[in-house]
Amino acid sequence: MLALENVHTYYGKSHILHGVSIEVRPGEVVGLLGRNGVGKSTTLKTIMGLVRPAEGRVAFEGRGIGGMAPHRLAHLGIAYVPEDRRIFRLLTVLENLRTGLDRPGLTDRRREELLQKVYGSFPVLRERRDQAGGTLSGGEQQMLAIARAMMLEPKIILLDEPTEGLMPRMVSQIRDIIQVLHRDGVAILLVEQNVPLTLEASSRVYIMEKGVVRHHAPAAELRANQAVIHQYLGV
Amino acid sequence: MAIPFDQILIQTVNGLVNGMILALVASGLTLIFGIMDVVNFAHGDLVMLGAFVGATTIAATGSFWLAFLVAALVIAVFGAALQASTLRPLLGRDPLTTILATFGISLVLQKYALWQWGPSARKIQEPITGQFAMFYLEYPWYRVATAFFAGAIIGAFWLFLKYGRYGIWIRATMQDRIMASAMGIPVPLVHTAVFAIGAAMAAASGVLFGPLGGVTQTMGFDFTLRAFIVVVVGGMGNLGGSILAAIFISLLEAYASIIVSPSQAVIVSFMALILTLLFRPTGLFVPTPSSSGACWRCRRTS
Ligand SMILES: Nc1ncnc2c1ncn2[C@@H]1O[C@H](COP(=O)(O)OP(=O)(O)OP(=O)(O)O)[C@@H](O)[C@H]1O
Ligand SMILES: [Mg+2]
Repeated sequence: MLALENVHTYYGKSHILHGVSIEVRPGEVVGLLGRNGVGKSTTLKTIMGLVRPAEGRVAFEGRGIGGMAPHRLAHLGIAYVPEDRRIFRLLTVLENLRTGLDRPGLTDRRREELLQKVYGSFPVLRERRDQAGGTLSGGEQQMLAIARAMMLEPKIILLDEPTEGLMPRMVSQIRDIIQVLHRDGVAILLVEQNVPLTLEASSRVYIMEKGVVRHHAPAAELRANQAVIHQYLGV
Repeated sequence: MAIPFDQILIQTVNGLVNGMILALVASGLTLIFGIMDVVNFAHGDLVMLGAFVGATTIAATGSFWLAFLVAALVIAVFGAALQASTLRPLLGRDPLTTILATFGISLVLQKYALWQWGPSARKIQEPITGQFAMFYLEYPWYRVATAFFAGAIIGAFWLFLKYGRYGIWIRATMQDRIMASAMGIPVPLVHTAVFAIGAAMAAASGVLFGPLGGVTQTMGFDFTLRAFIVVVVGGMGNLGGSILAAIFISLLEAYASIIVSPSQAVIVSFMALILTLLFRPTGLFVPTPSSSGACWRCRRTS
C-alpha cells in the first residue's frame, strides 16, 4: 500500500536519507526503530510531503506521491502524528479535532460517530473539549494528536514516537489505541524508541542506521532473538 | 484648563466612527499578515480601488448598496488574482521580497487609478441622509451607520472564524501552516481566500468612507499607514488586538484634536506606535508572554 524505494532526502546540503526502502501493506502495523538522529522522523516527513525526496520513489496504493502537497496526501488517506505533536495551541480540543472533521463530504452523522469514537477511546478529551490545546499535559496532547489524525478516517497513520516522555499509564493507553486502530484495519508506520512496545505492536520491524535501513525482520523473530536489537540499538 | 463635556462626547462618537472603519481595514491587514507573514503595503490601495469601483457603480446604477456589494466582490476577485499571481510564489521568502512586491503593487494600483479615473476627487452620495442634534452639532446619521456596518461586517466574520465550517481552516492555518496542511486543509487555497476576504473588507471600507472623505487615487496611503500602526499596536496578526487598537488609536486622535488641530492630532498615533515598539513590541493587546498563547508563532517556523 505504502512503498518507499531507494529514497534520498536532503535538508539543504546535508544528505539525511541514503536510499531508504520500506513497505507497509494494508492494515499492517510496521515498526521503524533506530538510534537518535538516524533519519526516522525524516522518513515520515518525506512520506507526508513535508520534505521532498531528491531521488527514489514514494508510492501510495500504486501511484507516485513524491512531491505531492501534504493536504492532498491527507485526502488520499495518509495521516501524520508528528514527534512534537504540533497541537494547535490556541484552538480548543474540540476545534483541534474539527480541523480534521470540517471537510467537504462528511455527513453530520459520520462526524458525530467519529467524535464519539475518540471520546470513547480518550475520555479525557471529552472532559477537556472546550479547553485550549496548549493547556493540556504532554500525554493529553499526544492523545489529542492521535485523535486528530483519526478524524481524517485515514488508511494509514504515520506515528512518530507517540510514547516519548509519557508516564507508564499513558504509554499503555497509547498501546491500546494502536490495537484499536489495527482492529479497525488502519495501517500504522510506528517510529519508536520503546523497543518492547514496538516488538509487541508490530508485525514487521525495520531498523535504520545513518540514513539507511540496515535490518528488516518479522517482529516475532526479533522478539525471539534480541541480539540483533542489541547490535543496532545498543539496548 | 477645562475641557467641555460636550466636546468630549462628540469626539468620543467621532473616534468610535473612525475607529470602526479603520478596524475594518486593519482586520484584513492583520489577517493577511497573520496567515502568510506578508505585510500588505498595497492594502490602502485596495480601499481606494474599492471606493472607485463603488463610485463608478453608483454613477451607473444610482444604488449605494449595490455599489457596496459590487465593490466588495470585484475587489475580492481582484485580490485573489493578485495573491495567486504575485504573493503565492514568494511564500516563505525573506520578508523584504514581499514588502517590495506589495509596495510595487501599491504604486501600480495608484497609477492605474490615475489613468482610469483621473486626478480629480469623486464624491459618493451618502445613502442615509438626515442628522440628529448632538449639543451644538447636527451630527449625520450616516456616520453612525458606517460604524454600525463596519462593526457588523467584522462581527459576521468573527462568527464565521469561530463557528463556520471553514473558519477553522483559517485559524488552524494561522497557527501552524504545516500541521494544517497535514490535516488535509488546502493551505494555498486558504491563503488566497484570506487575501480575498481582506481585500473585500478593504473595498467595503472604501465605499463606506467615500461619502465622508471623497475618493482620490492617493487616499490609500493614509489607510495603509493608519492600519499599519493599528496592526503593530494591536499585535501583528492578532485580529481582536487590531480591532481594539483601531478604536483606541482613533479615540486618542479624536481627543487630541480637542486640544490641537486635527492634522496635528495624527502625531499621537505615531507616538503610540513608537511607545509600543519601545516598550511592548509584541503589541498592546496581546496576552502577556508568560501565557501559553504568546509563543504560537515560534512553532510555525520549524
Ligand atoms: N530541519 C532540519 N534541517 C537540517 N537538518 C535536520 C533537520 N531536521 C533534522 N535534521 C538532521 O537530520 C538527521 C535525522 O533527523 P531525524 O529527525 O530524522 O532523526 P530521528 O531518527 O527521528 O531521530 P530522533 O530519534 O532523535 O527523533 C539528524 O542528524 C538531524 O540533525
Ligand atoms: Mg525523530
